[in-house]
Amino acid sequence: MDVDAAQKTWELENNIQTLPSCDEIFRYDAEQQRQIIDAKPWEKDPHFFKDIKISALALLKIVMHARSGGTLEVMGLMLGKVEDNTMIVMDAFALPVEGTETRVNAQAQAYEYMTAYMEAAKEVGRMEHAVGWYHSHPGYGCWLSGIDVSTQMLNQTYQEPFVAIVVDPVRTVSAGKVCLGAFRTYPKGYKPPNEEPSEYQTIPLNKIEDFGVHCKQYYPLEISYFKSALDRKLLDSLWNKYWVNTLGSSGLLTNTEYTTGQIMDLSEKLEQSENFLGRGTDVNEKRSEDKLSKATRDCSRSTIELIHGLMAQIVKDKLFNKVGLGK
Amino acid sequence: MEQMEVDVDMTAKPSTSSSAAAAAAAATAAAAGSNIPEAQLQQPKGNVMAAEGTTGSVTISLHPLVIMNISEHWTRFRAQHGEPRQVYGALIGKQKGRNIEIMNSFELKTDVIGDETIINKDYYNKKEQQYKQVFSDLDFIGWYTTGENPTADDIKIQKQIAAINECPIMLQLHPLSRSVDQLPLKLYESLIDLVDGEATMLFVPLTYTLATEEAERIGVDHVARMTSNESGEKSVVAEHLVAQDSAIKMLNTRIKIVLQYIKDVEAGKLKANQEILREAYALCHRLPVMQVPAFQEEFYTQCNDVGLISYLGTLTKGCNDMHHFVNKFNMLYDRQGSSRRMRGLYY
Repeated sequence: MDVDAAQKTWELENNIQTLPSCDEIFRYDAEQQRQIIDAKPWEKDPHFFKDIKISALALLKIVMHARSGGTLEVMGLMLGKVEDNTMIVMDAFALPVEGTETRVNAQAQAYEYMTAYMEAAKEVGRMEHAVGWYHSHPGYGCWLSGIDVSTQMLNQTYQEPFVAIVVDPVRTVSAGKVCLGAFRTYPKGYKPPNEEPSEYQTIPLNKIEDFGVHCKQYYPLEISYFKSALDRKLLDSLWNKYWVNTLGSSGLLTNTEYTTGQIMDLSEKLEQSENFLGRGTDVNEKRSEDKLSKATRDCSRSTIELIHGLMAQIVKDKLFNKVGLGK
Repeated sequence: MEQMEVDVDMTAKPSTSSSAAAAAAAATAAAAGSNIPEAQLQQPKGNVMAAEGTTGSVTISLHPLVIMNISEHWTRFRAQHGEPRQVYGALIGKQKGRNIEIMNSFELKTDVIGDETIINKDYYNKKEQQYKQVFSDLDFIGWYTTGENPTADDIKIQKQIAAINECPIMLQLHPLSRSVDQLPLKLYESLIDLVDGEATMLFVPLTYTLATEEAERIGVDHVARMTSNESGEKSVVAEHLVAQDSAIKMLNTRIKIVLQYIKDVEAGKLKANQEILREAYALCHRLPVMQVPAFQEEFYTQCNDVGLISYLGTLTKGCNDMHHFVNKFNMLYDRQGSSRRMRGLYY
């Protein structure tokens, strides 16, 4: 302990700047990366990559870009590297493509931009290669649609190592936490050994078919985030100014449209499950039960989000409107 | 008085929550007021700074993404070269009259010729073309660098940048600063003034506010607190309340600073600053914030809406449980007396 303290004071006095261990990750070793890419360890095991690490910067860029697109889907690329079973995303950049589901695969259109951007990035010391792409699903959850799956399969054939990230900006705001998923597809014809049920999420009725058909063709990666020592310090001071916004924003007001949409969707789902109930034979029993349970879970989730919003409102009401009234 | 802008880096958008923001403003002002001597000592050496008391001509709001971007740029360079070095980049954003919003940034390439650092124009033009494709509504605003105080070298860069944008903004981040309360960054604009009969470019410090949108706030929250969240409880309610709680705690400490300042003034320990006192008075006067009947009505409607939705949720849940129960009951009944064929009764 004493030695530690002594070293600290010594460092302080002499203004020594050692590279903090958490910043090691920012160093790029081109030789090592080339070796990994040449070895192609992911070809032997379709389940090779298990984790993904995303830098604070990349996360912020992705979330903000997705949000700026509004109800349109946006798309971008991520730069990074690999390390053992982990993919590391250092940075992200937006591509000049936006549109609906069918247009998100407009890769060719963005290809020229992409190459130019990466060349420019290399000149200012960003040595990493592209390791994946991201796009947004505004309001309908983080999963890969049929088109996404085929895009990703193509990428995994020619661009390995590659990962697909999906972010839902609408849900991020409504739930108050970042809604983001990272996926890799299985090669064609590969049957996943054990079909563990993926984490349940709310998917609107008009998309659920697309989800159901393709959901067995890819698997999610475990996501963690990292930040540099300087980031940590800046974020701490940032919070010193940021708290005002926590008190100043109202989740209920910003999300009225989304809430209405959720209720609409729920009523449709309930109606559907009712139809199944009406038929009520033994064959359908299992399925209809599923439908009702799922609808219930969606319902509980949106209710919880709303109650949280109200809780914040009441706290603020007590704090700012009931001052000095008691006496 | 004239030291106000040295240390004041104002609060977040006042429009979000006026009273909270005002409290913060008063607190920062009070804090700034109490360490005036320190600020005076910090007068920059050399002649790159304009005379004290020169106020900036624009107001600036800054997005946290830019700060993170610079931080990453600096960290990456340090990791790759093994030693910290000055980095340069461009700031892009929107300008409306005298209000500037800095939304994003990108790295700039520099060449060192002799002792001078030269911004690579070709590289800038290439990047400009690129960001125009993605963020068509953003314009070039200024540039950023790292370091503690502006130097004569920075003036040279400022002159180069001025060729792109007539009055560029300079942002300086001090990565090695040890202060935690304040963000270690300063913004400057430049003006041309006569010094010893020569037209010289000088920096004028600017104040800034932090701008944010909901998604950005959540993102920052997420990365800022992801370590503390991973261990411990998983309850969503707790998570939500903790965010509120820490914000209120912060408000509390700010109010305490204001209170302490007023007490000290009362006791004659500090010289009274009328501006601060006026602001504190205005703040108190504004409470309670909302007392009009229209607000009450709206608030009750909102409460009722949420109440109704939770009722709906409970009903759905009840239905589901009932359904499960009927199913299980049927199964049991079937097994017991399959000969009797009474199933239909329960549907």
